Amino acid sequence: MLDGIIETLQRPTYPGLLWTHVQLSVLGTLLGILISVPVALAVRNTPLGAAIAVNVGNLGRAIPSLALLAIVFPFLGFGFAAPLIALTALAVPPILINASTGLREVRQEVVDAARGMGLSEGQILTRIQLPIAVPVIFAGVRTSAVQVVASATLATFIGGGALGDLIVEGFSRGDTAILLAGALSVAALAILTEVLFEVLERTFTPKGLKIAQQRRSG
Amino acid sequence: MIEFRGVSKTYPGSERPVVNDLSFEVPDGEVCVLVGPSGCGKTTSMRMVNRLIEPSEGQILIDGEPNMSMSGTQLRRKIGYAIQQIGLFPHRTIAENIGTVPGLIGWERDRIRSRTEELLELVGLDPGAYRDRYPAELSGGQQQRVGVARAMAADPPIMLMDEPFGAVDPITRERLQDEFLRIQDNIKKTIVFVTHDIDEAIKMGDKIAILKEGGILAQYDTPENILSAPKSEFVSSFVGSDRVLKRLSLTRVGDVDLEPANGYGDNLPRLSNRMSLKDALSEMIGAGAERSVVVSDGNVLGSLTLDAIRQLSGRTTK
Amino acid sequence: MAVALATVALQSLEPEFFDWVWLRENFSEEVWPAVIGHLYLSLVSVGIALAISLPLGVLVARYRRLYAPVLFVTGFLFTIPSLALFAFLVAAGVGIGPRPVIIGLVSYSLLVLIRNVVTGIDSVAPETIDAARGMGLTNRQILFRVELPLALPVIVAGIRIATVTVIGIAVIGAFIAGGGLGQLIFDGIDRNFPTLVLTGAVMATLMAIFADVALLLVERYMRPWARRARGAN
Repeated sequence: MLDGIIETLQRPTYPGLLWTHVQLSVLGTLLGILISVPVALAVRNTPLGAAIAVNVGNLGRAIPSLALLAIVFPFLGFGFAAPLIALTALAVPPILINASTGLREVRQEVVDAARGMGLSEGQILTRIQLPIAVPVIFAGVRTSAVQVVASATLATFIGGGALGDLIVEGFSRGDTAILLAGALSVAALAILTEVLFEVLERTFTPKGLKIAQQRRSG
Repeated sequence: MIEFRGVSKTYPGSERPVVNDLSFEVPDGEVCVLVGPSGCGKTTSMRMVNRLIEPSEGQILIDGEPNMSMSGTQLRRKIGYAIQQIGLFPHRTIAENIGTVPGLIGWERDRIRSRTEELLELVGLDPGAYRDRYPAELSGGQQQRVGVARAMAADPPIMLMDEPFGAVDPITRERLQDEFLRIQDNIKKTIVFVTHDIDEAIKMGDKIAILKEGGILAQYDTPENILSAPKSEFVSSFVGSDRVLKRLSLTRVGDVDLEPANGYGDNLPRLSNRMSLKDALSEMIGAGAERSVVVSDGNVLGSLTLDAIRQLSGRTTK
Repeated sequence: MAVALATVALQSLEPEFFDWVWLRENFSEEVWPAVIGHLYLSLVSVGIALAISLPLGVLVARYRRLYAPVLFVTGFLFTIPSLALFAFLVAAGVGIGPRPVIIGLVSYSLLVLIRNVVTGIDSVAPETIDAARGMGLTNRQILFRVELPLALPVIVAGIRIATVTVIGIAVIGAFIAGGGLGQLIFDGIDRNFPTLVLTGAVMATLMAIFADVALLLVERYMRPWARRARGAN
């Protein structure tokens, strides 16, 4: 079994599949951030706008990933574009929800003090609101990224050419080794993504906030 | 000098003004306390000085210039701002918090650093220990002191303080009030101070503006005058039916003419010259004494009788 | 109303893709069975998962040492990509069709449900349990009359997340002949028939959203204290 798996991993086509998978995941998550964060910024001061954003996000989270891929497929056909768009749509909800709530959770009096001291609105955003919201936003990106990595497997059904190809191949040929090679690759990517973002989250959480968190739970 | 000229504020959609035709002047170097019940517009009025709220009518002038003559952001960097919930930036160190405005207006790093140390010492916190801590590591009282230090960082001539000592227990509050009065004695800033507590107003204010619900000015006067000559039913009931006693708390034992102390026995209560007349009255009644001896650092200055206090409470003192 | 909007949107987008005539004609033969099949897969899976998670969750809430290993195992199951899990179950000899799909769906639901059962029970204030014991209720009575009812909103939240997730993953189950709305998608791709693909995808989406909203309302309904506070505002 192990030999079979290793053999699959050594195929000349394997790096291509892996790379496509990584590309879809990274680009999908990035585009998700590029869409969600500006929206969250735009509604940060309007309670109604923020509520709408969060509700749309919550509904969006319910949408099945394969359904998303399938909806995009008739319009864009086989290839890279369709899965990319579907995965972007998948990545948006958790980031949107977290960015929106994170920005609004900065305590009122901190923003009031900042404004009263003479920070401009732009400075309040970049020096106060964003740094404080960063941990929450990163948590949202992490959730999205892991979800995207897992769902990119499904791109195989619309000719996306990612690691899902191996799983499908292994299944139809009855060859468990090939199947496992694909499955383990995806699982490894997912875990790697999770760990990477945990590290990023910790790096970018301002020290003062870490201390505050400890105090609260300690 | 801060001048309110016919200032009113009505929120759109609401019929009644929150602040109604407010006019008064705060002389340089004095503390003006805005005090009144909930809904009297005291905080709104204060926030119109640094334009966090814009008036619907009227003007606010600072040293003769309308406060609209520059942008809100520019204005606020020249005015110190300390609020009840403090609002320290949780993700910045104490030093970074204090150095915010000086950094904004372009002070050099060394100057900010030494100013920060100076201010921390001024508010009673050891710079070495506290400058690199984070707000979450400080107690409420310590955070409040940092809030005041932060408001004073760029040495603004004017300060706005909204219940700045409100978020702590009464003992710490009294200490903070005393320390602040001591600081103000030295630096003499022009301060607009908001509180709902008449006792704090009397203690902290050189002038008091009593506001009624609906943002109407009921009386603007020295604490002394408000206590001895309240202009209306509202003022006198807001001040409290114990206003005579409150007036006594304004004068110190050491400031009045004392009778000679010779020949009086050791079983008389000994009072410090720094004690207020009100506390003196309380001590003497408690001890069942008609007369007490006043001392300063162990030296006998004179004696004080209950009768003398009674007479003093009937008069307007200096 | 959402259905109407979605229908109008689709109709206006690419009319030449979507064969409404076909849909009307074949709805009861091809589409409706898929809907029923999908509901069957989802509800059965969540039901089984709940039947396992409730007692297991209660057990783990009592014997804390079990919590970490249980979380670990269910968490591990959760990270396996669904397609891989299904394919693997088939390869392991479970066969194809609804059975492996249900097994897979149950494993995915376990993590969420157990976690929420435990959290829900944890959220019951110790004073309340103490008062109940003081009043003379037996442990079993406390469990059924105090702890579980009070934990219910959190458990329902878990059921909501599990149901929505399961509806989503069940779509993939069609790959191993599990049936359900995924079948329409796969068939549609094979036969190059976009109408089928879109029907399957949109219906699956609508089902998931509907379940999410419906269970959210149930969740809200179960918190009368929160309801009243909101009413006061």
